[in-house]
Amino acid sequence: MTDLVAQALYSGVLTGSAYALIALGLALVFGTMRIINLAHGELVLLAAYIAYTCESQLGLFPLLSIPAAIVVVCVATTLTWYVVGRIERDHELNSLLLTYGIGVMLTNGALLVWRADIRSTKSAWLQEPVVLGPLYAMRSEVLFFVVSVVLIGALWWWLTRTWAGRALRATASNRDAAMLMGIDPRRVQLVSFLVAGLLAAFAGTAIYTIGVIQPSLGISLTVKAFIITVLAGMGSVPGVLAGALLLGVTESLTTTFASSALQELAGMVLFLLVLFVRPSGLFGRRIGAV
Amino acid sequence: MFAQSPARALRVLLALAFALATGAAAADEFLLGVEVPLSGSLARVGTGMNEGIHVAVDVFNRKSGKHKAKLIVIDDESSPAKAVAAVEKLASQGVVAISGGYGSGNIGPASDAANKAGLVYVTSGGVDEALTQRGFKTFFRINNTAGYSKAMLGLLADMDAKNVSIVYLTKEATSDLAKDVEKALVAKGVKVTMHAFDPAITDFKPIINKIKLQDKPDVIAMSGYENDYVGIIRAAKVLKPDVKAVVGVWSLATSKMQDDFPDLMGSVYGTALLPFPAEFTTPDGKDFAETYKKLYGKEPDYLGQFGYVQTQLLLEALSRAADAGTLKSGGIASEMRKTNRDTLIGKVAFDDKGDNPNFSHRMGQHQGKKVVVVWPKDLANGKMVFPGVPW
Repeated sequence: MTDLVAQALYSGVLTGSAYALIALGLALVFGTMRIINLAHGELVLLAAYIAYTCESQLGLFPLLSIPAAIVVVCVATTLTWYVVGRIERDHELNSLLLTYGIGVMLTNGALLVWRADIRSTKSAWLQEPVVLGPLYAMRSEVLFFVVSVVLIGALWWWLTRTWAGRALRATASNRDAAMLMGIDPRRVQLVSFLVAGLLAAFAGTAIYTIGVIQPSLGISLTVKAFIITVLAGMGSVPGVLAGALLLGVTESLTTTFASSALQELAGMVLFLLVLFVRPSGLFGRRIGAV
Repeated sequence: MFAQSPARALRVLLALAFALATGAAAADEFLLGVEVPLSGSLARVGTGMNEGIHVAVDVFNRKSGKHKAKLIVIDDESSPAKAVAAVEKLASQGVVAISGGYGSGNIGPASDAANKAGLVYVTSGGVDEALTQRGFKTFFRINNTAGYSKAMLGLLADMDAKNVSIVYLTKEATSDLAKDVEKALVAKGVKVTMHAFDPAITDFKPIINKIKLQDKPDVIAMSGYENDYVGIIRAAKVLKPDVKAVVGVWSLATSKMQDDFPDLMGSVYGTALLPFPAEFTTPDGKDFAETYKKLYGKEPDYLGQFGYVQTQLLLEALSRAADAGTLKSGGIASEMRKTNRDTLIGKVAFDDKGDNPNFSHRMGQHQGKKVVVVWPKDLANGKMVFPGVPW
């Protein structure tokens, strides 16, 4: 029984860290622009397909495709930022519709370019087991757990210790006051989209190496990321990590002690419970803080 | 009358000739509707079936001197509502019958709409028992859960499995099959442990760990789709449970899975109509394979075979109905019911519910770069490697 519990917790933490990587970009844009980018999952998926293309066509090790994925996804996020910026009325509602539409276009684009077949890495090295006593994981899971923690730390440092990060938080907190301080909010928003694109590139490569991708996956990634973002509290980076780990562990324990068929239900119950007890999310005391 | 007005007579003759010509063309060319998912979650399987349908029409148009067929394809986007809309649109465009459909949840409402429009609907994409319990005279299906479970049970009996863990997706077709297999195994005294999983699952290690530490089975049986198999076998490769075999169902014992996931497929079993490399021995099989390669530039797969057979039988029924002059008076369904012949998927004959009680699948095993048919023994082209797992 101890082995079963330990493995469930370990698997939950590893899955949660991958969730955090997926949710981070959405949380950042949500926190800074109050835009729920419903195309975020498809952007993550785009990065995953870049990793697939680099591996299958160029024979590149999937991790080496990350720079190419960053470039492609950042171009896509810049275009998203541009068209979202063109909205003049009912910004929040219309941006939802617009990003949803971009997501649909990206899904169908992926279907045309990469077809509906499932894809995943062929790298045996990434699939090798890493055994820590009674705990088992794939090498790719451990690798991206480390990447996830490092990126979350780096993002938190950037937001709290650099001028650009502070400008971003200031804009999120009070756009008018930030403008009075000489901050250009459009530029700050572009930066937040670009950082979200960078994070999506890592997340996409992670899901390509850990799991299986197909064109219809994007929307479920967006939903998962959205749940974590709300669980975390609007735009909170530490909250994203906590929320993602909590969700991962809850799902894993549900699978172990009840049934995997109930894991999504368990995740939603957790989501509702957290919102019931803390309506502003786990780390959402200061609404608007990043 | 003609003598009195030659110009008018000429006009009447021209009109008559035009009417006869268009009437003859309509009688010779069947407009066939195809409703399949080409996008959304079922896009891959829908695309495979659609390819088989096109191959059947291509072969028919080459071989049939008297009749020709033309397809109108509508993507149902893997959605029940859009499947109904697709069928209604096809009906309004004048199709004489429909071939297609994937997923019992989509086929149910789509075939209901076809039935209301009086159109024959033939499929191989849904195995839910409820589909054939509705009393429709227009619904036909060439495969069913019983045929898949028969194959899986036959293989497990050959393995003499005493303890089986069944890992199954909570969708209708996959859970129906898992429960059928469970029921039959329990009746034989085999210990069975069921593990349902949600489509959203990404990490199968907690399930495989339960199997490893608690169930300790001889065989892991899977009822899901390719992405699930990859997740389950990857988790099993990490945890290495002490089992003798890993058995799955559709979409597993294919050359594509061998190409895409060579490290995961070693000794794994799945349903397989044919071995790989494909060995088509009948003229029909060779024609199918050559046409498939010509149209799509790749080796045919089981999805294409099912799509081909369902459409081939429909086109034959259409021809017979057209020859009998009953095309527009319910003749297609009557002719479908007269079907009784060997096809690429085995013998097909429809009962009064539109089901094919003869359907029985075959089991294949990945052996090196080949897929070897190992069950039933009379159709096998090799022996199973047992025990054998990918790790």
